[in-house]
Amino acid sequence: MTSQISLAPPSTGGERMPVNADSVAARARTRGERFNWPVTIALLVGTLAVLIPLYVTLTMAFKTTAQAVDGNAFSLPAPFSVDGFVQAWTLTDFPRSFAISIGVSVISVVGTIILSAFAAFAISRNWNRRFFRWSFYYLLAAIFLPFPVLALSQVKLTGLLHLDNPIGVAILHIMFQLGFSVLLFTAFLRSIPEELEESARLDGASTAQVFWQLIFPLLAPMSATVGIFAFLVSWNDFVMPSLITSNPALQTLPVLQQIFQTQFSNNYNVSFASYLMAMAPAIIVYLFTQRWVMSGVTQGAIK
Amino acid sequence: MHPQRSTPLPTLSRRSFLVGAGALGAGLTLAGCAAPGGAAGVTEISFYVSKPEVIGYFDTLIAQFHKTQSTVRVIRDSTSNMSADFVRNRPPDLGCWNYNFSMVQFVERGALSDLSDMSEADRINPDIKPLLAATADYPGRTSVIPYSLTAASVLYNRDLFDQHGLAVPTTWDELVRVCEIFLAAGISPFFNTYKDTWTVAQGLFDYTVGGMLDVSAFFSNLKTEGTAVDASSAVSFQKNFEEPMTRVGELAKYANHNAASRGYGDGNLAFAQGKAAMYLQGPWALNEFAKTNPTMKVGTFPLPVTNDPGDLKVRVNVDLALWIPEVSTKKDAARQFLSFLMQPEIQNKYNADNNAFGTTKDAPPTTNPALIGMQQYYDDAAFYLGASQLIPSGIPVANYAQSIALGSSPIPVLKQIDGDWARLALRS
Amino acid sequence: MAVVPPSQVNRRVHKPQRVGATYYAFLLPVLVLFSLAITLPAIMGIFYSFTNSVGFGDYSFIGVINYIALFSDPTILGAYGFTIGFALVTVAVVNVAAFLLAIGLTARIRGKVALRALYVLPMVVSGIVIAYVFNFLFSNSLPELASALGIAPLEQSLLANPDLAWIAIVIVTAWQAIPSTILIYIAGILAIPSDVYEAAALDGASGARQLWSITVPLTAGYILINVIIGFKNFLNSYDIIVGLTNGGPGTSTTSIAMSIFNGFTNGDYSYQMANATIFFFIAIAIALLQLRVTRGKASV
Repeated sequence: MTSQISLAPPSTGGERMPVNADSVAARARTRGERFNWPVTIALLVGTLAVLIPLYVTLTMAFKTTAQAVDGNAFSLPAPFSVDGFVQAWTLTDFPRSFAISIGVSVISVVGTIILSAFAAFAISRNWNRRFFRWSFYYLLAAIFLPFPVLALSQVKLTGLLHLDNPIGVAILHIMFQLGFSVLLFTAFLRSIPEELEESARLDGASTAQVFWQLIFPLLAPMSATVGIFAFLVSWNDFVMPSLITSNPALQTLPVLQQIFQTQFSNNYNVSFASYLMAMAPAIIVYLFTQRWVMSGVTQGAIK
Repeated sequence: MHPQRSTPLPTLSRRSFLVGAGALGAGLTLAGCAAPGGAAGVTEISFYVSKPEVIGYFDTLIAQFHKTQSTVRVIRDSTSNMSADFVRNRPPDLGCWNYNFSMVQFVERGALSDLSDMSEADRINPDIKPLLAATADYPGRTSVIPYSLTAASVLYNRDLFDQHGLAVPTTWDELVRVCEIFLAAGISPFFNTYKDTWTVAQGLFDYTVGGMLDVSAFFSNLKTEGTAVDASSAVSFQKNFEEPMTRVGELAKYANHNAASRGYGDGNLAFAQGKAAMYLQGPWALNEFAKTNPTMKVGTFPLPVTNDPGDLKVRVNVDLALWIPEVSTKKDAARQFLSFLMQPEIQNKYNADNNAFGTTKDAPPTTNPALIGMQQYYDDAAFYLGASQLIPSGIPVANYAQSIALGSSPIPVLKQIDGDWARLALRS
Repeated sequence: MAVVPPSQVNRRVHKPQRVGATYYAFLLPVLVLFSLAITLPAIMGIFYSFTNSVGFGDYSFIGVINYIALFSDPTILGAYGFTIGFALVTVAVVNVAAFLLAIGLTARIRGKVALRALYVLPMVVSGIVIAYVFNFLFSNSLPELASALGIAPLEQSLLANPDLAWIAIVIVTAWQAIPSTILIYIAGILAIPSDVYEAAALDGASGARQLWSITVPLTAGYILINVIIGFKNFLNSYDIIVGLTNGGPGTSTTSIAMSIFNGFTNGDYSYQMANATIFFFIAIAIALLQLRVTRGKASV
């Protein structure tokens, strides 16, 4: 079975500026050529599917409790109320749980990027060796493990190792993201030619130097992609922290938000306000890394 | 030779990033490893209560407790997962939790300590003890002390009943008559919410079964049959539940037409707006009605499914029960807080404030006009545990109940439950 | 015409032995940590599937009884049938839609950055919010719209129809999954140099032909990743199904993950461990099948 999934187009040689769909479009704009309006309009219509649910979410967060249960999801808040936000802030101990969530997610992102870049580099540069190839499949196979199989055993182990806290949660997040991240990195690494490394080695660089000073910077676009996925998975996760962290004072935000999700009492304005507050960092992270992802991916075409 | 980038990347020093993450990590580790327990002579106990509506209430009680003494400090925990805590061997010191099938694994494996030597255990209403045993039991041990009992039956709109000159029905025929009158007047007799499966389980399913069967006896007989549950056994779902399920089908005729797409929130809203005369829900819904109609006049009566008023019973569940795990190292401190909570003035006030009934021999009668209709049945011990609460959650009984309410023929569904039960017995 | 990038040429002969050590140093710690955190618990979990444990306390070894019970349990078998079928449909819907959208978002459109941000935005919305909003839309808005427009079949809520409820679940799952899929496809499309298209245009190839013969083959690797990972994600569907139908009406939309979680913390632990173990092997088998089917087509 081949896993030589090449994500690079045929090499055309030479040191050229990336020329792809985005730069062609940019050049066309500066030349004053027409936009593709039919596609633009079709896409705009499509955004309704995105905007309508988000509109409901936004308006619900600003309603009073009485209006939140009146069954009109599309009505505007009347009266406009920040009561939901106030309650959510207090009930979830927002500053602390937010900080802990950020801490877990940051550790998870950094750890995922670094460890999977290490592993992917070693694997892709030694693909001809069985040990490395099988390690790849080993890490990949774990993607398919359902969490319940692991959960209680992980609870036991983290309890024994005094990792029943946000650190343990972050470590487990990293481990769960490894397979997917290694997959992405190895695919991306195939488009970075080994001649770069060869010439660096001829200049006397060790493998470690080759990695840190040459390869890792080139991985930036895929690091950003891996980072976004790792961040979102870790940020929104509530099952694992609820099981692993034993001290309730150290819980993450999503777990505390579950308090609103009671079967018997509908507090949608409070829970939606809470989710909106939780969405903010995710949006910021996405916008921040979007430029890295969109612009840098073109590196795959560089020789 | 370095590749050119089409847009400059923000410079983010790898080192500063790692330093920042490391600092965060160190901070979190320190916080996590912070030694529990405060000054000398003070014992800290963790108190688990997760019922969202009463978290604030218990916080006030905890503050009160702290004022009355200074050797025990209570930390409230509302988010821990009980299974995980027991697996780790670090459960809360005092648990205050709903007593249902989630508790079975802890009780039956002896994970809860014996509380029979406490004076509070003697004050418990003896009629409630069989309810506890039916859910979960560890022989020879008092594993829990029940704190709050919720009773549920049919909620009815008193104004609508008065307007049509109707009295509370006590037999099936009277109930049908009441429904026909409302139907003719253009008012939906019941408002049902089939979209939320749990409402069908606790309402239509439990009320019809409890109104016709001796629920506890049925389940203890079922347990003795083990894996041999089928059409020919002494008791089985397909045999004993057939009649109640037929009632479910008949009652569905008197429900709102859009019941299949209505959920709990829709039902609360509609009932509070006076769109239906009766609503099969428990007292927890009263606070929801108040959000829409704070001055609504609501009453309760048990659902009659036979023509013998002697069969009338209300569905109860032990909403909160107190327990102390065997592995806790702070049992004395936990017992101190338990005794504090069980003081009559505190426990009775909790139940009065939260639309529930007490669990002690000396519990005062309810003064809540909505619940008065059930007081007499509580006093006579004419109550039962919901059948859906006695079926292990591995069997999706709420979903099965929903399909019957939506019109599926009862027998095949009941046969399915028999099969599931037999398989469960096989692997236990 | 296949051109093999130099990075794929076998360089074994020229690799000096001494760089091997650092590579091991890069890989081994990761493998060890991973095995401790994932493999070890997995083996423990699989072990428990042969017992009647509830996760703690005493338990006894009962052999393969859990597995035998699984194969005769109609609810579980139904859940497998539903989940696999649902995953197949959803993976097709998601990838076709995401691919087309990605092509649109990399075309010469106005407001590209804003549009791209909007289409990827659903990624950050939590599953519970989505489930609530769409639950409302399907139960209330869509029937109202259908009555107003006179479309009879849609006047009853989709969610209340045991034969059609799965369509609603596919729609909502796709809504949540398409954004991340688009992200990966855009990355793949931007990696294609446009002179390839220009050459094809000079040769007279139409837009559709260019799409089929250039874009698709050159993003085949990313398509494969999205299909394999996507399929695995949809096999694990839980949040959205619970939020929309809770497995109903009846048990028509109960997924495997739902049945596993139901019994997981309520005492049916070891039975669901057996269920999860079988699920793991089935998921891997399907992934291997997918790789085998696309072997050769994904390499350029």
